[in-house]
Amino acid sequence: MNDHFLTVSSSPHIRAAHSTNTIMRDVVIALVPALIAGIIFFGINAAVLTIICVLTSVATEAIIQRLMKKEVTINDWSAAVTGVLLGLNLPASAPWWLAVIGSVFAIGIVKQCFGGIGQNFINPALAGRALLVASWPVRMTSAAFADATTSATPLALIKSGVTEGLPSYMDLFLGNVAGSMGEVSALALLIGGLYLIIRKVISWRIPVVFIGTVMIFTVVFGQDPIYHLLSGGLLLGAFFMATDYASSPVTPRAQIIFALGCGILTSVIRLWGGYPEGVSYSILLMNICTPLIERVTVPRVYGEVKTDA
Amino acid sequence: MREIAGLAIKLFIITAVAAVCLAFTNSITKDKIVEQIALENELARQEVLSEADTYEQIDQNSIISAAESLNFENPEIVAEVFKGLKGNDEVGYTYKVLPRGYGGEISVLVGISVDGIVTGMKVVSHAETPGLGANATNDSFQNQFNDKSTEQPLSVISGGSPGDSEIEAITGATITSKAITDGANFAIEIFKEMNK
Amino acid sequence: MNFIKNLWNGIIPENPIFRLALGMCPTLAVTTAAVNGLGMGLTTMVVLIGSNVAISLLRNFIPDKVRIPAYVIIIASFVTIVGMLLKAFVPFLDKALGLFIPLIVVNCIILARAESFASKNSVMNSLSDALGMGLGFTLGLTVLGIVRELFGTGSIFGLSILGASFEPALIMILPPGAFLSLGLLMGLLNKVSQAK
Repeated sequence: MNDHFLTVSSSPHIRAAHSTNTIMRDVVIALVPALIAGIIFFGINAAVLTIICVLTSVATEAIIQRLMKKEVTINDWSAAVTGVLLGLNLPASAPWWLAVIGSVFAIGIVKQCFGGIGQNFINPALAGRALLVASWPVRMTSAAFADATTSATPLALIKSGVTEGLPSYMDLFLGNVAGSMGEVSALALLIGGLYLIIRKVISWRIPVVFIGTVMIFTVVFGQDPIYHLLSGGLLLGAFFMATDYASSPVTPRAQIIFALGCGILTSVIRLWGGYPEGVSYSILLMNICTPLIERVTVPRVYGEVKTDA
Repeated sequence: MREIAGLAIKLFIITAVAAVCLAFTNSITKDKIVEQIALENELARQEVLSEADTYEQIDQNSIISAAESLNFENPEIVAEVFKGLKGNDEVGYTYKVLPRGYGGEISVLVGISVDGIVTGMKVVSHAETPGLGANATNDSFQNQFNDKSTEQPLSVISGGSPGDSEIEAITGATITSKAITDGANFAIEIFKEMNK
Repeated sequence: MNFIKNLWNGIIPENPIFRLALGMCPTLAVTTAAVNGLGMGLTTMVVLIGSNVAISLLRNFIPDKVRIPAYVIIIASFVTIVGMLLKAFVPFLDKALGLFIPLIVVNCIILARAESFASKNSVMNSLSDALGMGLGFTLGLTVLGIVRELFGTGSIFGLSILGASFEPALIMILPPGAFLSLGLLMGLLNKVSQAK
């Protein structure tokens, strides 16, 4: 009974030709446009940092599995996905050791200490980012352009009350703004996200409900919803982070509740919190709620009689 | 009945002995504790108004009425004012202000000389985030307030080089920087109101 | 022989922090620096020795039915006395540990040792148990403080170890750092003791 309470249903379940391997490979493919956008706007350093993240993640996974005398499963691409996602969450000005520490923490502590693939209770890449933001806040929040001049991110500008000189919708859409390497280009993220939905790697529910909630919430409180859609980590988070198999719910109803929670928390942090951006914390918080959401939304087995009426 | 009486008597004996021990300790530490607190406050006042050698507390009611005539939202934000004396000459004032920062109340001590120059600012206690807001206790931030004129209120800028009445914010801690600077401005206003 | 055995028992085999997982609140909250951990550990040890010895001495006097109120009075008196002494004579430690000194009253190690050991054993044995548990607690807090201070500020006991180019990981001196270091240290200790 206790097991029942703690277990997050693990996926993928038996279904067609999808395996962990092909799913993870699709995620990497879907992230390529964002990565290219990052390299265009921030220069070669973006590629170097992402490669460092991927190599460290894969190496950490291999070393820990070897040490624990488990089967080494780096060929399933999952560590590589975590590496790419963490890389895209870093500012291009980040030093190499930031990438290394984030990756080791994400894989070593968050993923392997809790039992490896499918067992992590929160998204490893986001947990890595959260650790880095808490530890080196200045380095993680000073977003740099390719020409190395630092400037505040669009959301930070809104937060501090600036109304003039904000980047245009077009700059936001293409990615010509300050921010983490992978979050700036809405266009690239949309291409990747659509690819994942078409390939049926992720369902439309979490991203659509998540983004929709943020837009409605910001409209209600008198802010520009398109601005909130295009700036910050919302698209990256909604398509690639909130849909993580191990740490998000599997049933449709639970997914909608999960995404709703993410959207509300993100908006609350953005509008009234101490930080300008709240996507990562909102997803982490909802990750923790996932077992509870799943518990109350367990689909009834066909023919089963409700007992707890 | 007799059992309860027995229990009560024994408990009473224990509490009585404990009370005696506490009273004894209190009697030997009481003066010392008062002295420690006074010493600490004296040192802090020395830091922001080093010219003075003795300090005299100003009546709290006159501060509150000054704050009320200035229409302060919270008339008790300036918690303590001391007049600094050198010999018999009045050299300046120290103001303890309690603005709200990111992590709660910040206790800030501001010194202002009689001719209206800020002689120092010191963050006495705070609950700000380590590494960000907590950097407010660094000299690089505190010393920015030295020699500022009280002619106009101080303002906070982030990035760039600060001008005459400007304070450069602590990196990543605009809320804390602004709270402390606002606190200093309250002290400045009270100073002007009470020395018209 | 018994004395040494009891002493050793508290330091390693039944270390309050890493083995019994008792008194987690001060453990997680005050270990931001090695000196705080050491100070908290020693303060708790003094209280623990006082309460263990007193309760062992009174074990035939205290009626069973009111033993918990009696223990609480004895423990609270010792904590208050230690608190007053610290305020008067070691003010810097008092400032660093703050609220956690009065909270020693509810530290479960102290009541647990009173109930499960001192109330049933001789004075000498209770003394050795208090010493062992106190040292074990101090050891655990200090190790945790060293780890967190080293990575969170780059120094140990205030002495810079990792040099100026080291950029400290602030998370280590924030609450999550306490959980992370405690968990990893516990795991490491389990691993080492299993290997034997």
